[in-house]
Amino acid sequence: MIRISDITVRFGGVVALDSITAEISDDVIGIIGPNGAGKTTLINVLSGFVRPEAGSVDVDGLNLLTLTPFRRARWGLSRSFQKLQTAAELSVENLVRVGLDHCSSPNAEKDAAIGRALEFVGLSRLRNTKGGDLNSQQQRMTEIARCLVNSPRIVLLDEPGGGLGETEAEALRTIITDIRSSFGAQVLLIDHDVDLIRATCSKTIVLDFGKLIAFGPTETVLRDKMVQAAYLGQGPGQ
Amino acid sequence: MALRISFHRRFVTATVFFLFCVFVLPAIAGAIWLKVFTSAVIFALAARGASLVYAQLGLVNLAQIALVGVGGWVMLRLNYATTLPFELSLLASAAITAIVGMLLSLPAMRMRGLYLALVTLMAAGAFQILFTAFQFPNGGSGFLGVAMQSPGEMRRPFLARSDAAYLSYCVAVTALCMVLVFLHERGKAGRGWALIRQSEANAMAAGVDVTLFKVWAFTLSGFLAGTAGALLAGALRLLDSKSFPAGESILLFALAIVGGAGHWAGAVIAGILYRVVPAVLNDFGLDADLALILFGAALLHAIITAPQGIAGQILSASAFRRSAT
Ligand SMILES: Nc1ncnc2c1ncn2[C@@H]1O[C@H](COP(=O)(O)OP(=O)(O)OP(=O)(O)O)[C@@H](O)[C@H]1O
Ligand SMILES: [Mg+2]
Repeated sequence: MIRISDITVRFGGVVALDSITAEISDDVIGIIGPNGAGKTTLINVLSGFVRPEAGSVDVDGLNLLTLTPFRRARWGLSRSFQKLQTAAELSVENLVRVGLDHCSSPNAEKDAAIGRALEFVGLSRLRNTKGGDLNSQQQRMTEIARCLVNSPRIVLLDEPGGGLGETEAEALRTIITDIRSSFGAQVLLIDHDVDLIRATCSKTIVLDFGKLIAFGPTETVLRDKMVQAAYLGQGPGQ
Repeated sequence: MALRISFHRRFVTATVFFLFCVFVLPAIAGAIWLKVFTSAVIFALAARGASLVYAQLGLVNLAQIALVGVGGWVMLRLNYATTLPFELSLLASAAITAIVGMLLSLPAMRMRGLYLALVTLMAAGAFQILFTAFQFPNGGSGFLGVAMQSPGEMRRPFLARSDAAYLSYCVAVTALCMVLVFLHERGKAGRGWALIRQSEANAMAAGVDVTLFKVWAFTLSGFLAGTAGALLAGALRLLDSKSFPAGESILLFALAIVGGAGHWAGAVIAGILYRVVPAVLNDFGLDADLALILFGAALLHAIITAPQGIAGQILSASAFRRSAT
């Protein structure tokens, strides 16, 4: 259970998060909202890249905010980034192995974990390809494999579906749905693709101008008048 | 991509070059050239340290020559104060210099770019003052061990008493250090560094302790500088406090860029440019300062057309030839 209480983040005059409170216990939770709503900021608070002005985050009794980002990663909080930044000289295998470099487990075990993560995201045959030779979908999948390789407790995905084609989006859907059963991690998913959110998330948080305007079962939330208005009449359902 | 040379080929090339430097070079070089080549090898090792930190983390350390001086100082100190075999003193000098290098890296945690370069340059200046004030040990009494006339002698390794054998010895030690760097680049450290240079946030999110990995790179760089300094003490037997001015670090760094920062061959080229080219000019009766003009031109050339340095150009040229045939 992730308990987010009264998190407030301000950047100069911009209130990026305004006293956000939410309790998250579902397997896959969606975070949606228009551009600049504060979605990435929320993930940055959870992963330690932004220090909130007020509030607390508690995961099963652990005060997450006391840990530095890399300690949170080692504790079992993985995240991907909205902007792809893949080290061009490293092979896919090494890009994933980084996630295990702090563990003391035997090499054979690490190799197996890497194999499993790559298999899961469908990159097994690109194991030795260099990061610089990957297309953006393959880079996204490499990042997800890295997120999963160290048996995390929580995985935060920031728009993993950005720029994916039809079939690729379908594969991503399956991957996100299966993370809990295959790796045991809880997933927080940011995406603008409402179909992806609808297909994978049991509950969804809606942010708008830093405020939490809705949090509940995905279908209910998507039908909410305020949520539809927040998308400026684009109607996320249509 | 077609322009990649296989690991196997690179290994063979490196081995052939190594064997040439160990067995052939000392046998064919005359007395003066033995000294020149020995010092070129030693500074190639020091250059590898500076280029490592630059290539892996994009950080500029302008105190490398000062660290060579530190390594040399510790080596001479140990030589006169103890009866340790050369190899142990060498390791101890390298380790102590590595710690100094590690301390130098502390500002790197907060700074980058020009500011870090300036801080390391000031540290180099501070060492220059210390060297001038305290001189290098030559067998005198007390902790500083300086006497007007050297009563003792800097010992060389048992296996390498002659200048020719000592050149082979330096080549072997340098090669070992290059292998050490290679193993770092290939392993956990290299993965961490690659992520850090792409994006520190990404690295942290992957569980990489960014501070530790930066400190690690500087420590390794200091280790190489310390080894170089200790070898230099063995080569010259006496070190002169005027030999380690802060400005030399800038020159060595620039030459490491000209040679190619990401590759051992780049450091070798830097060593050759730094020590062999001036000697060749001298041999032709030309002013050795002419080398500086050459270096300036080479640096411009590197910045404008060859970001991977001369080593990168040679590598891609040979890869291109291979893919064309
Ligand atoms: N480091 C920062 N410094 C200053 N302002 C910031 C910073 N990060 C975010 N902001 C601001 O905070 C607000 C929320 O940004 P955030 O990136 O969280 O939005 P988002 O919901 O992820 O948007 P998008 O869908 O475009 O990714 C925006 O107004 C943004 O400009
Ligand atoms: Mg965002």
